[in-house]
Amino acid sequence: MTRSKAGLTAVAMTAVVGLVLTGCAQQSNQGVPGGDAAAQPAVGFPETEDFPETPGKPGGVFRLGISEPTAIDPFNAQESEGIGVTEALFTGLVQVEPDGTVVPGAATDWLANADCSVWTFNLAQGATFHNGEPVDAASFKRGWERAAAPESGSEVSYHLDVIQGYTEYQAGTATEITGVNATNPAQIVVTLAKPDCEYELRTNHPVYSPVPTVVGATTDTAYTDAPIGNGPFKLDGPWQHDTGIKLARFDEYSLGEPAYLDGAEFTILPSANAAQLEYDGFVNGQFDWARMPPTLLKLARETYEPQGKWLSKIANGMNYLTVAGTKAPMDSADARKAVSLAIDRNAIVQGVLQGSTTPASSLVPSLFPDAYQKDVCGACRYDVEEAKRLAASAGLVPGTELSFQFNTGGGHEEWTAAVRQQLETNLGLKVSYTGLPFTDLLNNEGAPEATGIFRSAWGADYPTPGNFLIPLLATSSIGATPTEPVTGNNYGRYSNPEFDELVLKASASQDEAERNELWKQAEKIAIGDDQALIPLWVRQQFRLVATDKFANTNMNFNENPTLETITLK
Amino acid sequence: MGKFILRRAAQALLVIIGATLLVFLANFAFGDPFGSTGDRQVPPAIAAANRAAFGLDQPLPLQYLTYMGNLFTGDLGVDYNQNRPVIELLIETVPNTARLALVAIVIDIFIGVTAGIIAAVKRYSFADVLVTVVSTLAIGIPTFVIGFVLVATLSGVGPFPTVPRSFTVEVPWYTEVLLPAFALAIVDAAFVARLMRGSMLEVLRSDYIRTARAKGLSERKVIGKHALRNSMIPVITYIGVSLGGLLGGAIITEGIFQYPGVGYLLFRAIGGNNAPVITAVVIFSVLAIVVLSLIVDILYAYLDPRIRLS
Repeated sequence: MTRSKAGLTAVAMTAVVGLVLTGCAQQSNQGVPGGDAAAQPAVGFPETEDFPETPGKPGGVFRLGISEPTAIDPFNAQESEGIGVTEALFTGLVQVEPDGTVVPGAATDWLANADCSVWTFNLAQGATFHNGEPVDAASFKRGWERAAAPESGSEVSYHLDVIQGYTEYQAGTATEITGVNATNPAQIVVTLAKPDCEYELRTNHPVYSPVPTVVGATTDTAYTDAPIGNGPFKLDGPWQHDTGIKLARFDEYSLGEPAYLDGAEFTILPSANAAQLEYDGFVNGQFDWARMPPTLLKLARETYEPQGKWLSKIANGMNYLTVAGTKAPMDSADARKAVSLAIDRNAIVQGVLQGSTTPASSLVPSLFPDAYQKDVCGACRYDVEEAKRLAASAGLVPGTELSFQFNTGGGHEEWTAAVRQQLETNLGLKVSYTGLPFTDLLNNEGAPEATGIFRSAWGADYPTPGNFLIPLLATSSIGATPTEPVTGNNYGRYSNPEFDELVLKASASQDEAERNELWKQAEKIAIGDDQALIPLWVRQQFRLVATDKFANTNMNFNENPTLETITLK
Repeated sequence: MGKFILRRAAQALLVIIGATLLVFLANFAFGDPFGSTGDRQVPPAIAAANRAAFGLDQPLPLQYLTYMGNLFTGDLGVDYNQNRPVIELLIETVPNTARLALVAIVIDIFIGVTAGIIAAVKRYSFADVLVTVVSTLAIGIPTFVIGFVLVATLSGVGPFPTVPRSFTVEVPWYTEVLLPAFALAIVDAAFVARLMRGSMLEVLRSDYIRTARAKGLSERKVIGKHALRNSMIPVITYIGVSLGGLLGGAIITEGIFQYPGVGYLLFRAIGGNNAPVITAVVIFSVLAIVVLSLIVDILYAYLDPRIRLS
């Protein structure tokens, strides 16, 4: 469950002026029949190819800036920065390649029973922790129970909640998680309370990491600042809060090739202007990997793309509008499609967002090439005539009041204002437009009386299309009756038995191709036919990479550099 | 003299009580200071520990007493991000800020007093005009502009470390402190130069200076011994208050140079809505200013007997 409140950080006022101009230009074109995607100019910065795999030399220290993580101990590692450090220190049962494919980690192979309720992971032999202790099934069980223990205060232990016995253990009424069997040191058998044929993907989350017998309590900061892992890197001294984290290669690493790098240095920067400082540090040669503020994207690209140091990737995430689809005026698919068609995504992306992302035409992002359906959202284009036609048939007549709420402080002010203006101009709606704190936004969205549209963003925790479709659109993810506030993440209260059946079938399918086909069908129904929510633009990430010094430097699923593959040039 | 110090100390104590009361009211009387979060949820255990430490379940007057008690025992609560006592963070950063403030003040005094004396003694000369023009310019430029220009032009050049830099790059403190100290000192030095020039001119017109000159004292002695001491009074007041402000942390400058002082700590804490740290740093800043003003007043009295006798 990754609901993000921040989007793009502050964008200069000039961009807003730019948008108004673009907006006018676009409006003068509205007589031209729209919908021809090919005729529209490409917007945003295109994705770059992965850097080619090249043989390199061992050695070197890779340096980058990050914001202060919440934790680098797997029991509570959560945001990109904390996970970035934790995944270098720990190797879980499986690992996910940058493109989302699953490869062995501490487990050499894994198998589910027929209904995917019992999973058996066979562990690699001879692997050890950084302190020399062997990694066995008990190490995993110990790690999971440590995170799930009620006193741990872990904010990520819910990733374990599909395991049988988790609830009892977490409530303190059981002494172990009964669903985890570690009697055979070379094999860990997991019984799930909720069968899941993609369960192995979950175990890529750091909370599924093994811990050694000498592990400290989750409240013992001396240990949680210097956790002992089994990953390709080990800590070189404890985490210096607000200062930095230093890693060194773990030479005895046996779960794959040992790393080539001698080490890595994460310099902790203040979160308020981290992106700017990362960029400055890249320019002055201090960092080998950097983000940059949106206002600098164009300049950075012009400077560094010719040098081969520019990385642009569509990442795990989607920006969209949640639609209260059970309440007027948005209670028909036509009304939702009309709103979607009336939004000029290209103009906003080029104007306010300064090309920093790419307009979306689906909910499942292209990160999942096998399930990605470009243009599955037929109404994710700009066509004012069609929008007006559908609006008229749906009773969304000019003057209709539409509530539009967004959260402040996440850099959403400009583009939501542009969306509002487009809806008012193109459909004649009376948009009541409110900015409020993130938690209030979620409360309003989930309230039974919620109407209208809400700014939203989502990123999957596990690399599967299902982690977009099920939490956001399945009936079970409403978690409430129509008179109660939503408890899941399906804030739009979308409910379609046909969709529910398809995603259920997909989750219960062991065959990957079949599963992807079912995901596609489900998305076609929810987004293509019902327009349950309105996709806007994808999550796109940009990095500057010191490719003059390092090779094989790509971005992984968690948007961090692939430290384990980087070589010196 | 003893009586005077006692009286001023009592006044300072009142100011401290008033100031902490204000900070307390601002932070505690309206809502829950530990409920607000930045991007992150405050771990419930830490929020609870903070609430308990600050006695938030008690009525307001009792809360204030708890809070004052905590202040005296150095218990400033626990930082959200790092789960460390805030006092530790202060202990780590205060020496750095003190170093920065002192270096800045030394640069400040050196440039400001020298320029002021030259301008006053050689009134209407080219040097005087130059001092006036340059100081006007310096006062006009915001410190952050000077900071950014220094970072852009000098950081990474010669002995000056790059900004930002990887945390493992160790630099001697005196190379790290120079640029931010210089950025802080420029505006102050301009003020000091103008103050110094004005008060020196006034003193030079007074009778006792004429007497001194009539006695046949060298001009060097007249200026350096007789005039300087009296004309320093307004300058010392200014420098004292300015030092107090710098000790409380120069948020913007320390932020620009990523200088690990109190100001940078506050800069980060505000970015993360880290209420316990913000509260502690603000109180520290108030204390720094109050204590420094007290010291200035005492010095003042030492320099000018009329003050302590009145």
